[in-house]
Amino acid sequence: MQKKTLVNATVLLALFLSNSAFAQIDHGQHGGMKTMDGMKGDLPKPPAQFPKWMSNRTSDHLFYKPAPYNWSIRNIPAFAADMYGTGVGHGIAYEAMVTGKADRMEDSIHRSIVGVLMNPPHLPIDEGAILPTFKRKYGSLEKVFDWAHLLHFQTIDVLSHKGWSDEQKDAEIEVLWQRYASQPYAITGLPMNMEVLDSYSYSTTFRTKYPKVNALFWGYHWLQTANYDMLYRTPTNTHIPQYEVMGDRYRNVELFNTDREFMPMTGEMSPRFSKRFPYIANSFDNLHMLHDNVGDILATDSLTEAQKKEQIDIAIWRVLGSTHLGEEPGKGEPGTLHDHRYPMGMPGMGWMKGSTEEEMYMSGMGWMNMSECGHCSIALPEGDQWGATVSADGWTMMVRCMLCARDMAGETIGRAVIRAATEDPNQTLVMISDEEGNWTSSIPGIVFLEVKGDHPECNDWSRVFTSRAAFDEFIKSDDYYKDAKSLTLAEWQTRNEGTPATYRRIDKPSPYKKKGGDGGTK
Amino acid sequence: MKNKILSLVLLTTATFGMVVPAFAHDADCPFCKTKLVQNTKTQDNEVVVKFGNKKIEYRCVYCVFADQKKFSGDLVVYAPSETVGKPIILKRTSGKWSAPDGTVFLNTFRRHVDCAEQSRAFTSKSALEKYAKANNVASAKALTLDEMLKEASKK
Repeated sequence: MQKKTLVNATVLLALFLSNSAFAQIDHGQHGGMKTMDGMKGDLPKPPAQFPKWMSNRTSDHLFYKPAPYNWSIRNIPAFAADMYGTGVGHGIAYEAMVTGKADRMEDSIHRSIVGVLMNPPHLPIDEGAILPTFKRKYGSLEKVFDWAHLLHFQTIDVLSHKGWSDEQKDAEIEVLWQRYASQPYAITGLPMNMEVLDSYSYSTTFRTKYPKVNALFWGYHWLQTANYDMLYRTPTNTHIPQYEVMGDRYRNVELFNTDREFMPMTGEMSPRFSKRFPYIANSFDNLHMLHDNVGDILATDSLTEAQKKEQIDIAIWRVLGSTHLGEEPGKGEPGTLHDHRYPMGMPGMGWMKGSTEEEMYMSGMGWMNMSECGHCSIALPEGDQWGATVSADGWTMMVRCMLCARDMAGETIGRAVIRAATEDPNQTLVMISDEEGNWTSSIPGIVFLEVKGDHPECNDWSRVFTSRAAFDEFIKSDDYYKDAKSLTLAEWQTRNEGTPATYRRIDKPSPYKKKGGDGGTK
Repeated sequence: MKNKILSLVLLTTATFGMVVPAFAHDADCPFCKTKLVQNTKTQDNEVVVKFGNKKIEYRCVYCVFADQKKFSGDLVVYAPSETVGKPIILKRTSGKWSAPDGTVFLNTFRRHVDCAEQSRAFTSKSALEKYAKANNVASAKALTLDEMLKEASKK
């Protein structure tokens, strides 16, 4: 009882702090630029004044919030090592670009980064050891990066921690966010217009000049964004087997994918986590866009050293929380730096190139409506019966029911992971399939209901239960299902109903116009 | 007048690419990365590979054969034939491919934008020739399964 009271108090405190932080944002001043200054033409202009800390050369070193969950990422050793490896790539590339070695980027620098990513360190690496020259030149940028990376890692630590309830973890992540947002180096948690942030005169230079190294960066941004749905509200004993699938994909495909049209977004890769913590998802995307901006600036040969320094300062300022004080998610002048709209159904993602109110384009998956099931196109359910997520072929999609999850995974080459709601809100089911679609379950003895009806009700007639007793109780409560037979996992996995009649394809070309060609020759 | 309005609506929908019903998910072929072609009332186009419990769609039979190394076990391929609703069933069992007697393949495409039309299976040589004539496929040659596999292995 005492424990429950403590949990409730923690949740209330977190909510209070959360509201306070937004109140702070709500009542601040607008920060400068209100146009697409610098887009496709002149360089962006600096604000009237940069925050004072940006010219302060003291180290201001910040570290982890003391907590029992710190370094719990190491409960998933392969994941921890891969994540430590990601701390090295940008450092090597940045240092090369500020020490006159950029001409080696696509060969020896690429080999060097791949070498680290394929043989990752088993302890975190201090970036200062990798990019001493860069750090001397761009110390304020390193403060922003370090502080955001720390939020990344501590959030993962909370989610990987054994012995805490999901509610405790949610509350602690709120506390971590408040701690993060209270510092001047914090990146805004508001969704930002990604087309604006990627449309300056120098934008896309890095990925155009160095596509192989850029693929590595976006590949580990894939890992850094996809991991949250692997960890969020899933049993900790599923993390290692889930990462076996994810890590394999990361090392063999994602790191070398030069076809990606845009950086991976957290809302795409971890939709469930991003719906729950949109400000964290947004801050990570804004951080990753800052990484892209910095790479583009450094790779633009026409800029002088002074211009590069100024443009990097402007890029930092653009994404700082202090630049967007008083602004609100879902609002702001379209097509400006202060455009904080988000796609329908996904508050944890900024406005993407070509988006409309309802549709957005996801590289590798095409156009979609993020408020709808990826399989049957019916609106996603809310609450305890939230449906499921399917991770396969590098993407993660939200679906309404177990049938949608199974059949969507069944259309995809390779292994897949389903994370699903059960009748017990405290038990998320995790299922992993082999290459042939044979599933294993994190909960022994699960049974399925599948009495095929119309898809607008599929989350009612297609469900999973943690036990036969729970199934019996459910069908007893609804006369409609009185004759329903339970399906074992072995019976359920051999079914396939194909594409639902309700599925609606959004038939528009990619806004990035890179893919969708003639597929090449034989 | 009513028909004109309907035509205008259909034209507008087609022109601006709005939401349209689909028979299969809007996806790219796993091999050539070109959009899958849906079945129509008069012609089947979807090539389905059954691998264990999975059903993977490809754009043409050439793409399946060229991509077969991705699958480690036995495969069943439902290849559209000249008759709607009657696919030709190709099998790979313990690494060896088989097809019903008389099956021939058309494989004349140069670029994958044409592969769904020009890389197809037929129940007979005469069916292939009829299709080639109706679709103006130049220099159509009927390939055996072995010849088709050889072509795909060049990739």
